[in-house]
Amino acid sequence: MALLRFGSLRLLRGVFTLWFAVTVTFFLVRLLPGDPALAVASPTMTADQREKMLTDFGLDQPLFLQYLSYLQQLLQGNLGISFRQNQPVLDILMERLPWTLLLTGTALIATLIIGLPLGVLAATHKGGAIDRAVQVGGVVGQSLFVPTVGIALLYIFGLGLGWFPIGGAMASDVYGWDAYVSIARHLVLPCLSLVLLQIGAYVLTLRTNLIDALGEDYCNVARAKGSPERTVVWKHALRNALLPTTTLVGLQVGFLVGGAVLTETIFAYPGIGRAIYESVGQLDFPVMQGAFVLLAATVVIANFITDLAYGFLDPRVRVQ
Amino acid sequence: MTRSRITRAGWRGAAVAVSVAAMMAACSPSNPDASDDASGPDGGAADADGDDDSGRPAGEAGGDIRIGTTADVVNFNPLVGNSRTDSWVTNLMYPAMMTINADAEKVPALATDWGYDDDGLGAWIEIRDDMTWTDGTPLTAADVAFTIEAIKEESLGTVAGMIGALDGAEAVSDTRVEFTLNRPDGAFINSVGFWMPIVPAHVFGEVDSVAEFANDEEWVSAGPFVLTQVDRGQRYILEAVEDYPLAEGGRANLDRVVFRVYPDVNTQVLALRSGELDLIANALPPSMVNEVAGDDSLQTYQVPSLGWAHMQYNMRREPLDQVEVRRALAHAVDYEAIRQVVLGGNAVSANSSVLTPTYPQWAEEDAEEYTYDPDLSRSLLEDAGFTDSNGNGMFDDLSFEMVYDSGDPIIATWAELVRDQSAEAGIEIRLAGLERNTYMDRTVNRDFDIYAGSWAIIDEPQSNFTLLFHEDGFINYAGVDDAEINRLMEESATALTVDEAREPLHEIARIVRDEVYDNVMYVEQFTFAGAAGWTGLDAKPSELLSVVNPQSLASAQAPE
Repeated sequence: MALLRFGSLRLLRGVFTLWFAVTVTFFLVRLLPGDPALAVASPTMTADQREKMLTDFGLDQPLFLQYLSYLQQLLQGNLGISFRQNQPVLDILMERLPWTLLLTGTALIATLIIGLPLGVLAATHKGGAIDRAVQVGGVVGQSLFVPTVGIALLYIFGLGLGWFPIGGAMASDVYGWDAYVSIARHLVLPCLSLVLLQIGAYVLTLRTNLIDALGEDYCNVARAKGSPERTVVWKHALRNALLPTTTLVGLQVGFLVGGAVLTETIFAYPGIGRAIYESVGQLDFPVMQGAFVLLAATVVIANFITDLAYGFLDPRVRVQ
Repeated sequence: MTRSRITRAGWRGAAVAVSVAAMMAACSPSNPDASDDASGPDGGAADADGDDDSGRPAGEAGGDIRIGTTADVVNFNPLVGNSRTDSWVTNLMYPAMMTINADAEKVPALATDWGYDDDGLGAWIEIRDDMTWTDGTPLTAADVAFTIEAIKEESLGTVAGMIGALDGAEAVSDTRVEFTLNRPDGAFINSVGFWMPIVPAHVFGEVDSVAEFANDEEWVSAGPFVLTQVDRGQRYILEAVEDYPLAEGGRANLDRVVFRVYPDVNTQVLALRSGELDLIANALPPSMVNEVAGDDSLQTYQVPSLGWAHMQYNMRREPLDQVEVRRALAHAVDYEAIRQVVLGGNAVSANSSVLTPTYPQWAEEDAEEYTYDPDLSRSLLEDAGFTDSNGNGMFDDLSFEMVYDSGDPIIATWAELVRDQSAEAGIEIRLAGLERNTYMDRTVNRDFDIYAGSWAIIDEPQSNFTLLFHEDGFINYAGVDDAEINRLMEESATALTVDEAREPLHEIARIVRDEVYDNVMYVEQFTFAGAAGWTGLDAKPSELLSVVNPQSLASAQAPE
């Protein structure tokens, strides 16, 4: 019952957050200097043509009416029609979304699979060579710049060693098993760049929390009872040390998605990030709004799941 | 205990594997053999095999050419879309009546002949009689008349602004279209001939609104290739059309053209060097030209811009309304240093003329570039009454903000040189590198002192000069308002031959230079890069035509 109430409150909070994100996005894109007609204006366009373009886009209406109409559309699951492509925004984004989910999802999973054991290793060998290497590596990884890492990976593993293709998400004319292999080969380098950039945060957070947990009384009691150190670490200390790491996952989803804009651009990966990049340049308001709504929803859902996971991991949260 | 742990780990691993596999399944394509999505063109397309990452053996007859572009196609409707990639892809399907030669003159493509009536109130174009759309329908003058009428009726794209003189168009036979004009317009035929892609009336005429027609499937082409597959964000595949009379042999040499999207130019060049691309459609940044030119596995193609880079001074603001101040600013800059240092020599002088050397038929032979002479600038300003009261070398009250697009690395670099060199002449320039849309907004609203930018294409001075220098011209950012220029523009616009138009145009160019209405700094030389050994590729002036224009790709052949 407590969990149900806890979940309902979190859901309500998620819906409010989404509405807030939608509203801010709506007004923010309209505050940008210039207008969508200007963004594609050619020297030969007449003033009448530009006016007509704005009317066609519905941008001649009062702002508040535009906003109400947008909210109404949104509640019906309609993200509007792209100014530039004359296609439903939902279709445009749904074509891109699977690639972003694949890239960021794989990167998140790989980060956790590699990062958590590394964090444990560093914490259990505190002060040793491994710990120092992990700390330095973690800090350096967080300081890296996406394009630099991306181009370096492409140069070394793509052009130099020829192990992986340079850019793109899959080869053309491949189907079935070959398609999976091609997708996997194209995924490695962009995924690796995201892993390199975010793994430090997980490793260092887990290391710090695990070191703290291992010094707690309940761990000493477990040791006094004769539990092997492995059991103390993995069964007693890790569960508590994982709580802040779980929160980090929710927060890092936002970073992942943001990082994907640059990563997708460098690696020519056809995800949502690229759609945002292109629509900003063209001031294609419906695509920009749609993409931000989708990303906001992703982050809200990730945080909702994180909150629920937190509730499971720590019963005190449910009660509070 | 151990077995239990292994089992749990196994389940977790399986869950992860299933998640990733499910995400990959959502991304992987279905086999087109099992659907109708990617059927070949009815004109009898070449066989579509091969893998664009597989490094298909070169030298085989036909084959693919893999071309890098930095952006997706935004709109497949050629009458609406106006991005570079839109044009590169749709130009291969919807033919223009004219193209340009190395001297930037309009020459026949679909059209065979054209002319004006003696009074200038009528014009006509004859087109070829051997062109067909890929669905078997002949391409006739009715398609031309339909296209221009649709543009006029719905104010479509850039061409709508070029046909202000048009009253109506009529296909008087299958090969001849006649235009009725409400005033003589010497640029009308060339503008329409070069800029207007012809669309099939039997397809575009079926929709309620051409402006809203996405044209995103079942393409019908009268060009050398037809689009058959679109993977947004990744690639656009066009297959050769069997019957294309404009190609030698009546068909393109290649089987397929594959445009691949690489938003980052560094990645694009790496893909070219690794053999995953055969050609890059967009011009290389000057900073990359030397690196690419030194690679034996690559070859480069150079063409001039059809526009120019420049600075304009806002004449609606004091003291820039004084010609002495504008001249002082013009003489304070070392243009040759900019061309050599910033552009690595990949630019030529325009002799400070708006009639640039790219167009030999218009160019001013006796024009001379503003000399770099800070002392002359200082004396011009002193003569105009400016003083340096505190003796710090800078004139009092002579500080200007210069706006430019911070996303343009070339202009962002030379803007700093201009600032430093102007300081030598005692003029302070404050740089304002702006995000592109902000920059556009401020220039159009004339919210700047000095504007730094470039024109991509100014190909018909008879009509384009009105946009540049007429009081109400859309791109008259400087705020030029000169009665003599207005009179000369009227004279040149109604001239029906190059010889008649040349004199008033030269006079306009002279006034613009003397009054510093537009400070033309250089004409960029674009460099395109491709893999070595390809033959038949024909680069045409401007980045718009590039090395991926229809004539070039129809005659391209893979290395032996």
